[in-house]
Amino acid sequence: MTEKKSGQISDRFGGRRNLVFFSGLLALVAVILLDIYLEAQILEPMGYFYIFFALVATCYALYPLYVNRRLTRYYWERTRRHRLSVLGLAFIIFLIAVALIGPLLTPDPTKVNFDKKNTPPVGFTIQQSVFDTKTDQLVSRETPGTWQHPLGTDEKGRDMLAMLVSGARVSLQVGLLATLMAIFIGALMGVMSAYLGGWWDNALMRFTDVMMTFPFFLLLVFIIFIFGPSLAFIILAIGLTGWTGTARLVRSETLSLRTREFVMASKSLGASGARIIFRHLMPNVISSIIVIATLSIPGIILAEAALSFIGLGDPTVTSWGVVLNAGQRSLDTAWWVAVEPGIMLFLTVLAFNFLGDGIRDAFDPRSQQ
Amino acid sequence: MKKAGLRGYIIKRLIYAAIITWGVVTITFVLLRVGPMSPADKYLSNMSARTQDPAQVVAAIEARYGLDKPIYEQYFDYVVNLARGDWGWSFSNSLPVVTLIRRHWVYSFQLILLSMLFSATLGILIGVFSAVKRYTRTDYLATLFSFIGISIPNFWLGIMLILIFSVQLGWFKSYYDTGLPMFSLANLKALVLPVITLGTGMMAGYTRYARSATLDNLKQDFVRTARAKGLPERVVIGKHVFRNAILPIITIIMFDLSGIVFGGAYLTEIIFGIPGLGRVSFNALFASDYPVVVTITLIGAMVVLLTNLATDIVYTRLDPRIRYD
Repeated sequence: MTEKKSGQISDRFGGRRNLVFFSGLLALVAVILLDIYLEAQILEPMGYFYIFFALVATCYALYPLYVNRRLTRYYWERTRRHRLSVLGLAFIIFLIAVALIGPLLTPDPTKVNFDKKNTPPVGFTIQQSVFDTKTDQLVSRETPGTWQHPLGTDEKGRDMLAMLVSGARVSLQVGLLATLMAIFIGALMGVMSAYLGGWWDNALMRFTDVMMTFPFFLLLVFIIFIFGPSLAFIILAIGLTGWTGTARLVRSETLSLRTREFVMASKSLGASGARIIFRHLMPNVISSIIVIATLSIPGIILAEAALSFIGLGDPTVTSWGVVLNAGQRSLDTAWWVAVEPGIMLFLTVLAFNFLGDGIRDAFDPRSQQ
Repeated sequence: MKKAGLRGYIIKRLIYAAIITWGVVTITFVLLRVGPMSPADKYLSNMSARTQDPAQVVAAIEARYGLDKPIYEQYFDYVVNLARGDWGWSFSNSLPVVTLIRRHWVYSFQLILLSMLFSATLGILIGVFSAVKRYTRTDYLATLFSFIGISIPNFWLGIMLILIFSVQLGWFKSYYDTGLPMFSLANLKALVLPVITLGTGMMAGYTRYARSATLDNLKQDFVRTARAKGLPERVVIGKHVFRNAILPIITIIMFDLSGIVFGGAYLTEIIFGIPGLGRVSFNALFASDYPVVVTITLIGAMVVLLTNLATDIVYTRLDPRIRYD
């Protein structure tokens, strides 16, 4: 503590990190209010999500990992022992790179070109009937795959590769943002419920039970049905419904921590509730939170894909679910339209599952081998 | 003493279930009223009201559905009607919602029941086998298989099955034939692809649970005792390990309903055109037929609640070690 004053303030909220976090949060809320007041779009709705979660991730995931470099190295060593989880991580990094750089290299995924419809991927040739303008008749013609469209085109002649790249972007956006949001809400609910105890605990946990009683997908469909589909709203809806498991886990972890000596000691030294929550309880449950976050990403990506597959997705974005939906309709003429997005979805989910498994084994103290 | 404890526990669970029910109903009501569209608009968008004065039509609809009353009265009506079994009128089907549900629930039920039987039997068998053969090639194969099963999106799996077995090979029909009698081989055959579609993900999950539950039990002292007594391995696994492992697995299967099964069944029904509740809700979505969507969401929640309640109560009977406090 070099500066005395800031030391006192930061102590009350449990460290400078939280001070940074909350001032960032206040600034963000101020910008949102200003945005609403001016009725001018300062940022896209997605922009707020990004900034908010960048703030959360920096303060509560990256910063602690950076400060405790030795611990980070230890976790990495343990995660690395799972070859499959490293493979999963590599695929995810590749996917992020594709989602970031890909749109610059591929054509517009919404560009329709009926002359080039139903082109198979490179290496395949299909027979399809094409309307010949010279003879005014349908003729059966051999259509080979070309390098111009390496993964083929769909029934409207849109480039499959471009659509898949766009889909990767959507899936990652939804997967990461909605997970962060769900985890944030769940962790807050869990810690508060366990720490405040009594009546609060009862009320919050009964609310969690009610939310858990709704089948996740049915509730999601219901909410999107009422509020209408847009990507930002889908993320919000998943985040606002998917937090229940985290809340329960964090609550039970916190309950067992609350009676430990270091919390008692801190309490008897006169620490405030907020300080105990943020300084002592949160850092100790963070490893469970990271594990559950990684393991819940696949389900959330699948939920978004399923929503857009049944036609409840954002109509303005090309996601894997949308392509899959188009693919189901043209199964007998163009099989690759249904196969390719599904493979991407499958590999992405598999990669996150592998990574999550490795991280769980690394972070879970009970799985010492 | 013990008996009173059990009764008290059951009563407590019932009260608790009633509170959850109230919460579920209230949340749907709040969501409906908070939503940007008034239910009257949804009706209006489905009525050919072009020749009439829209304001008048809105007023008439609002009066018809009690939307002009104060909000607390609407809430009260909503709860009372739900409790009375009056779940509204589906105008896209021109039927009371209750009749619609009664006509279609059985299709969802048979799909879910068959998938659960299929996935639980196979999943538990593979899981136990994999645990017994721990760290062998069989075990790794089973683990890899369960990873794939968990990760494969079930709607994509369904499409791929249609592509391979219906479009290419022509073994099965790509859609479900509703004209078949319920208990017939033809009906069973029509359900083969849907059951695999829905069951694969579930089976993979159960394999993992069964494997870890069996591994936990294999480490126990009573297994060592059983082996020391010279019991054949078949009896040790079948009687001592399996019986102890099965209870937590069944609990997990019952609690899994809300997460995987209902969402999966919804999508499976859409892909194969099975006229179950998922398909009905899906059709209602695009007709803005909101009483149907609400009711099916509520039915899903109620089924989850009742299975959880039943599991909790049955569990106390099955496991004598459990304490009721």
